[in-house]
Amino acid sequence: MSYQHYLDQRKLILTVATTGGVHGKDANPNLPEQPDEIARQVRECEKLGAAIVHVHGRDERGENDPERLQAVNDAIREECDDIVIQNTTGGQSPYENRVAGIRTDPPPEMASLDMGPFNRGQHIITEHTRHNIESLAREMKEKGVKPELEVFNNGHLNETYRLIEKDILDPPYYINVILGPGTFTIPTPENLLNMVNNLPEESHFNVLATGPHQLPLTTMGAILGGHVRVGMEDNLYYDRGEPAQSNAQLVERSVEIIERMGRDLATPDEARDILGIE
Amino acid sequence: MTCPYLEYRRSDGDQEFDHERPYCGVTEEFVSPMKADICNDRFQFDHESDCELYKDHVERLAEEPVADDD
Repeated sequence: MSYQHYLDQRKLILTVATTGGVHGKDANPNLPEQPDEIARQVRECEKLGAAIVHVHGRDERGENDPERLQAVNDAIREECDDIVIQNTTGGQSPYENRVAGIRTDPPPEMASLDMGPFNRGQHIITEHTRHNIESLAREMKEKGVKPELEVFNNGHLNETYRLIEKDILDPPYYINVILGPGTFTIPTPENLLNMVNNLPEESHFNVLATGPHQLPLTTMGAILGGHVRVGMEDNLYYDRGEPAQSNAQLVERSVEIIERMGRDLATPDEARDILGIE
Repeated sequence: MTCPYLEYRRSDGDQEFDHERPYCGVTEEFVSPMKADICNDRFQFDHESDCELYKDHVERLAEEPVADDD
């Protein structure tokens, strides 16, 4: 994808990440955690133009719980029209928890696939070996689950090429370029440009940037012909010192910017066509 | 075994929640969902080896001077 795609007004896929696994309501009480409240916020975002929802499960205390993915999926299907469900297989969880994201009934149309480990805290590196990554990718392929390839840094882009060379992934490859703190790509426009310039052929890219970088770098991604992910998983604030009131508030602002830039949003069905989801 | 400094609280002065949430008695703050896995020694985690806050706190306690008996 390229600036030419922006000039050509290619359709843009907007993903909303409502919940995540990092923050709790203590960080922002408007963060949805339970299946029904997640589904209600997803519905609002779908009405505004979100085509994909990235999903995490939480238990009733707000702690990560992949067993709740089924309940969240069911609630979203009940509440929403047609939004594409993308379950997480990420986080610090062991393999059994990761794979739960693609073993819901029915399986999701999409799932995230981390391209490698990253650091959390002083002593934790997320356990994500090449063996585990390949196992997840193969099971996704068998089930027809489209992976969103989570590229947290340049090295993870190398790993993406490795999976392509091993013929484990089917094109078009959907690559989520992630910019932020820690072992993520350092969040600057120059680094985003560099990542985009190094993407494989036959790929689409999405931009995920955390906190105050969400708005400027996703906007830049839209100009570069990419797709956009926003939501409270990645950013709890609407403006400096102003907590987000909802996921819809963040989505609405992005939709307004994207449309003013002359790009149209893809419907869920158009997103399926773009990404080769059957 | 869970961390001895882990508590579950429904409120913290200004904030009140529908359900109890994990609270760190060392930092006196609520902890994130991911951090709670370490506090609870879930999966492969162990708060004694994986939690920097616990380790620092225990080290500080060990370094505190003991009052003389005399």
